[in-house]
Amino acid sequence: MEAAEGEERLLLTQRLKAAVHYTVGCLCQDVAEDQDVEFSKQTVAAISEITFRQCENFAKDLEMFARHAKRTTVTTEDVKLLARRSSSLLKYITQKSEEITSSHMEQKEKKKKKPTVVKGGRTGKEEAPVSESEDSNMT
Amino acid sequence: ERRSGSLQRKSALFSCVTDQKQIHCHENWSLSPEEFEIWDRLYRIKESDGIKEPVLPQSRFETLENLEEVSKREEEATHELSLSEWRIWQNRAFPTAMVDHSDRCYHFISVMEMIELMRDEQGDCSYELEIQPHLRIEDVNVRRNKSHLSTTTST
Repeated sequence: MEAAEGEERLLLTQRLKAAVHYTVGCLCQDVAEDQDVEFSKQTVAAISEITFRQCENFAKDLEMFARHAKRTTVTTEDVKLLARRSSSLLKYITQKSEEITSSHMEQKEKKKKKPTVVKGGRTGKEEAPVSESEDSNMT
Repeated sequence: ERRSGSLQRKSALFSCVTDQKQIHCHENWSLSPEEFEIWDRLYRIKESDGIKEPVLPQSRFETLENLEEVSKREEEATHELSLSEWRIWQNRAFPTAMVDHSDRCYHFISVMEMIELMRDEQGDCSYELEIQPHLRIEDVNVRRNKSHLSTTTST
């Protein structure tokens, strides 16, 4: 049983590594064309393995940051903490985060303008005012 | 001068000083005159030492706007500490004293070992051959090979 589980885990890991490797290959190709250099396959493989392992560092830190703030859900604030050591990186991540939030808002606005009936709220009381205050909170 | 006492004094700067007068001086954040004298004589790098001042490399991002101040240093007068000069030593865990190696340190060691194993490969890459059969196309953003699709979004 345990051996089978280990086998399955290995297959999942390799599937993930393959996806990372493919994507790293694409990104390296962009850089290669931009900088007019070539990446050896071994270089792409090494970057890919570093990226895969870096995900473990990130995941563990994010989990701890969220827990530190007494949350179980990782938020963009936790992601910003990953970049705290470099002001350049922090500025970049913060900008991206704001872009994502504002595009999120636009989509919400669009949905809101559609003349649909307000769905039954999760709380089950005062649906309309709740959803309105929710939106005004976020702007 | 008082060279004979220097060995004993070397540790004096960092150890607890029991003398009441010295404790009194040490209440400040800065060095006491006594400590300053020791630092100046034993540890401070002076021109006459013929050693360059050690400095750490500054972080710089190739793909981002760099906000960090680039402090002007006379490169000639400093010795920038290198994190890559001894890379061939780094595919094994170095000894520790009190602080164990961290997970990220072990990741680093593993990747250095992986690079070492691929060093002599020509052409085909063993990592790619091992991993590629596991690729599921639904896991990735597919794009046509060769055609250069820019992934840059608004800047």
